[in-house]
Amino acid sequence: MTPIIAVDQLRVRLGKREILKGISCCLGASGTGRAIGLLGPNGAGKSTLIQTLLGFHRPAAGTARILGFDCHRQSSAVKTRVGYMPENDSLIADMTAVAFLRLMGELSGLPAAAALEKAHETLFHVGLGEARYRKVGTYSLGMRQMAKLAQAIIHGPQLVILDEPTNGLDPAARQRMLVLIREMKEQHGMNVLLCSHLLPDVEQVCDEVVILKDGQIVHQCDLARERQANQRFVQLHVAGSDASFAAALREAGAEGISEAPGVWRIVLPAGLEVEVLWRLTARENLRITKLAYRRDTLEEIFLKAVGHLPASPRPEVAHGRL
Amino acid sequence: MAVFKHGYQRYDGPLTGPVTRFLAVPRYAWPKLLAERFVLVLLLVSLFWPLLCAIFIYLSNHASLLPNLNGGGEAIQKLLRIDGNFFATFMNIQSTFAILLAAIAGPGLIAPDLANNALPLYFSRPVSLGQYIGARLLVLFGLLSLVTLLPGLFVFGLQASLAGSAWLAANWPLGQGMVTGFLLYILLVSLVALTCSAYVKWRVVAGALVLGFFFVLAGAAQIVNQVFHVEWGSLLSPGYTVYTLWCALLGVETAADAPGAGECLAAVLVLLGALLAVLLRRLRPVEVVA
Repeated sequence: MTPIIAVDQLRVRLGKREILKGISCCLGASGTGRAIGLLGPNGAGKSTLIQTLLGFHRPAAGTARILGFDCHRQSSAVKTRVGYMPENDSLIADMTAVAFLRLMGELSGLPAAAALEKAHETLFHVGLGEARYRKVGTYSLGMRQMAKLAQAIIHGPQLVILDEPTNGLDPAARQRMLVLIREMKEQHGMNVLLCSHLLPDVEQVCDEVVILKDGQIVHQCDLARERQANQRFVQLHVAGSDASFAAALREAGAEGISEAPGVWRIVLPAGLEVEVLWRLTARENLRITKLAYRRDTLEEIFLKAVGHLPASPRPEVAHGRL
Repeated sequence: MAVFKHGYQRYDGPLTGPVTRFLAVPRYAWPKLLAERFVLVLLLVSLFWPLLCAIFIYLSNHASLLPNLNGGGEAIQKLLRIDGNFFATFMNIQSTFAILLAAIAGPGLIAPDLANNALPLYFSRPVSLGQYIGARLLVLFGLLSLVTLLPGLFVFGLQASLAGSAWLAANWPLGQGMVTGFLLYILLVSLVALTCSAYVKWRVVAGALVLGFFFVLAGAAQIVNQVFHVEWGSLLSPGYTVYTLWCALLGVETAADAPGAGECLAAVLVLLGALLAVLLRRLRPVEVVA
């Protein structure tokens, strides 16, 4: 199957700065309706990657493909199949929502009559049905976000690129937006590339995640597989001097790292039960204040990938996964 | 079924061709422009001169009636002759309305897209930068044609129908010259209006800039001529260069010591190229801060 997004040694320069530094990845598979999360700290190159995929920037080297089409050389074929919701306010303020969507639909290649029908249909779908004859400039922030989503999906694209879709939304509107995004992939078979700083949003919606840092991919994972394989670990809070606790853990065959003073993250290999921790803490004169089983959240995966958290201990049983 | 009942379905029907997509932009822009009171008033006012010309043409083709009125038959017949001078004068006056119309309508074409950050919406669709500019030019072309090409063809057609096929056969180049001259002029005025619209957000200021472009450059041309005691300074004035080209196209003589049609054509082409380059530089889907 053709990957939805295939990037090979992609380098993008803006002026004298190299923003994307030879990144390579294959994301999704066409016809599957998958959502890909694009994460990274500010200045990591997320927006530049999206803009390059849309043909706004010419790659200095390498290629970027969407659904098998080269984003630079076959830009028209790519744009026919893609819907884009920009991060910033990006609307035609003095048009009614229906006229705005109809124009966008026609520019995407819909015949005039079909564009009008789809404009009404899409506006009802995103919850702007009652306000569809109002000028877009009079909309509230939440309504504008929905109008931006509507213009991105009016032509039924195969890939929808959403740049911070939940920005500035209240909790109810944010939930509604996430439901719409989930429906897009599950009910309508669209692929979604979601760029967001809100990790819970990505965790709720996405199947795959790519993390960028300083113009390079630092982590890429299939979230569903990650959730299954994500190794359970013990989070242990202790009181007392724990200077020699790491050595004691190693001696017992476990691996552990200190996340903070008195806070340990320990992976117990198969065959080693939690009782060993009671025994070791007693031997080291430590008092356990909290002991819990946990898995990595997406936030922790992200923070580790960008180097803001120490990596988890990796004994043999962890198979090198986070 | 009511639209709110059947819910969203992905569109999977046939797509239109690139030309149809491109035409969607002017199709939405024209009704909006024609709904503006100033535009409508200016369009109506601009029809007076073609009407006067039509009356003039009628009289010139019925000159036998005139000697009985004042007895000056031969002189009046010379005055009423429909030739290149007549069309040059007609074009000159109509071109003023075209500039005014461009100054009113032009600033509303690109500035709102820039102010609303709407360019990424256009360029994330199968619309190229060339098509976007072409579509905006087409909006002004349609509007300015209403005060230039269409009245011009009406006046030429009226004269041809009243004077007969012999006149038409002999003066066919006048029609060709008028159409070519107006097309060149519309392109120039439209590009000036679009460039001003792309750089100035405020419509009034952008409109003033369109008018200023023509008047200031005409003034600058005069200053250069006076200061350096030359004639080539006139090439800086778009009004002068275009008028000289019209005269050449219509077979009207111009001053011998002034820059000729070749120089004027080169000046106009350089100006068109510069305007296009400036416009292309401004219109980017995203702002790049290097």
